[in-house]
Amino acid sequence: MKGAAISIEHLVKTFPDGTRALRDISFEVKPGEFVVIIGLSGSGKSTLMRCINRLIEPTSGRILIDGVDITTLSHEEIRRLRRSIGMIFQQFNLVKRAPVLTNVLSGRLGYLPASYALMNYFPKEQVDRAMANLARVGIPEKARTRADQLSGGQQQRVGIARALMQEPKLILADEPVASLDPATSHSVLKHVEDLNKKDGITVLCSLHFLSLARRYGTRILALKGGEIVFDGLPADIDEQRFKAIYGEDAVEVEIR
Amino acid sequence: MKQDVAAPRPIVVRPRPWFQSGKFLLFLAGLLVVYAYGWQVTKIDLPELVVGAKFVRPFLRDLFRPEVLTRSKQTQQVEIAMSIDRAVAPEDLPAPTGPVLEVPTRVAPIGTELPVTGRGFQPDAQGTLYWLNPIGNPQQVARFRTDAAGAFTTAITVPEAFRGPEAGPRGAQQRLRAVVEWPVGGLRASNTLLIVFEKIIETVFLALMGTTIAVAAAVPLSFLGARNLMAKNPVGSGIYYATRTFFNIMRSIEPLILAIVFTVWVGLGPFAGVLALGLHSIAALGKLYSEQIESIDPGPIEAITATGASALQVVRYAVVPQIVPPFIAFTIYRWDTNVRMSTVIGFVGGGGIGFVLQQYINLLQYRQAATAVWAITLVVAAMDYFSAVVREKYV
Repeated sequence: MKGAAISIEHLVKTFPDGTRALRDISFEVKPGEFVVIIGLSGSGKSTLMRCINRLIEPTSGRILIDGVDITTLSHEEIRRLRRSIGMIFQQFNLVKRAPVLTNVLSGRLGYLPASYALMNYFPKEQVDRAMANLARVGIPEKARTRADQLSGGQQQRVGIARALMQEPKLILADEPVASLDPATSHSVLKHVEDLNKKDGITVLCSLHFLSLARRYGTRILALKGGEIVFDGLPADIDEQRFKAIYGEDAVEVEIR
Repeated sequence: MKQDVAAPRPIVVRPRPWFQSGKFLLFLAGLLVVYAYGWQVTKIDLPELVVGAKFVRPFLRDLFRPEVLTRSKQTQQVEIAMSIDRAVAPEDLPAPTGPVLEVPTRVAPIGTELPVTGRGFQPDAQGTLYWLNPIGNPQQVARFRTDAAGAFTTAITVPEAFRGPEAGPRGAQQRLRAVVEWPVGGLRASNTLLIVFEKIIETVFLALMGTTIAVAAAVPLSFLGARNLMAKNPVGSGIYYATRTFFNIMRSIEPLILAIVFTVWVGLGPFAGVLALGLHSIAALGKLYSEQIESIDPGPIEAITATGASALQVVRYAVVPQIVPPFIAFTIYRWDTNVRMSTVIGFVGGGGIGFVLQQYINLLQYRQAATAVWAITLVVAAMDYFSAVVREKYV
């Protein structure tokens, strides 16, 4: 499997209330990169990710994925685009009352006829695939458990398994470990890294802790007030750059 | 920054304790006025609890002996002619066949101590001796129990008996009757129990039909009453407020009052009760449902949308799992509440168990009323348990 190449040109997003979340953003991501996006809350990280799978409509600019401009796609084409992009969320966004297996299987919905949904039917090979993905993230025994019975780390691994069901070429991870403790954060990010290294999936991942960003990212992109203020290698972020991103009063907190 | 001026010494003001503050005393005085008026206006009269205890005692006693099971009874009856005047001979009755009742003399003035024996009766059975005056009014004079051979011995005192409307020798001719009763066959449900059973089933179904009508109307209405779906534009806001106002007004009208309205409309009977409970429950369920829709977590919707699922699939896998279990739980809870309410709806003619309960109470048939009360208690407790189990499973 080959990861997606992304090219973003002059992306602008202004919300109806006048908030300018993204101001003229341009960058390129090569297939198989693990790009970590850092920045303060409200710097535009989430908006940027949601523009890439059109959960948020960009105001202007172009987003090319593998050379296709996705800002002009029709409704049906957006659905086909979305199924090739896995998304992982800070709050996991699982259906809490549903079993883990159903949550994982729901990642495959984009490939299945809508009529199956009325019967709550999933083909056997998809159930097998879901079990295999659960095994890959290390919790096959939780398949029949209700999602809200799981710990935070386990829920996020269900989120990863759900994204895997899409056979994605790109994964958007929106602060995937912000609700987790440090040890669990590493185990979750290692699974994401595994997808990136073994399957070659391109990863765009926003993180709060610079230490995590340095450990997992092959490249770091820093946003501030809707603009890119840093784009480079993890090792290049020194104290001066850090203060430029996070503000004068910021102190770096280590997480190991 | 350097502080040149020394900070002024803080003035320590010790506040008065809270119970001495003017506000608290004012509050206390207000409270006193409220409760003094309340005591007077509700005519609270504690001694009446003691004085009236004797009136409620039979009711309370019967509450613990509801009429549930009965056995059929078979009786034997023998009469002998007596006279209370030495000048008048007893009637000449045909000799009885079967059991025999014997007294030493057939002529016994009022107040005579008279030994009575009997034989040939049902063995080991309860019996009663009655004295009958000329117009046939029985007066119990003794109770006895037959032995293993069907015989008994007891004694009576000839009672102060009425001599009949016309004076004369005929008035002295009286009778002694022995009645022996014994149960036959097994226990069977009493008629009261059968009626109560039929009516309690009617009550449960009355509540079920009312709830079903309410669900059918409340599910679509609840979407109109959900702020997160409707309040996106002025028209939607208008519909939202109209729906919520309807819910709030209907909810504040007691089903009992609605039942009175509907008994006028469609006549006495369970249908009026169904309509009353249904209308009230539309509002009650509609409010609960729409609040559930408002509290739906948008996260899963976003996540499933991001997988490329269609709108139908998003509804099925992100919305339905979030609203259907609580909807089921609320509905069961409402049914449970409606069973409880339908017991009182019968009091105004809305059908169900309340109707017969009211009849029993009005006729002072407290044992029968007790049967109805226990049936209501059992069914309501069972529904309560059942709804708790279902809610625990779904929520």
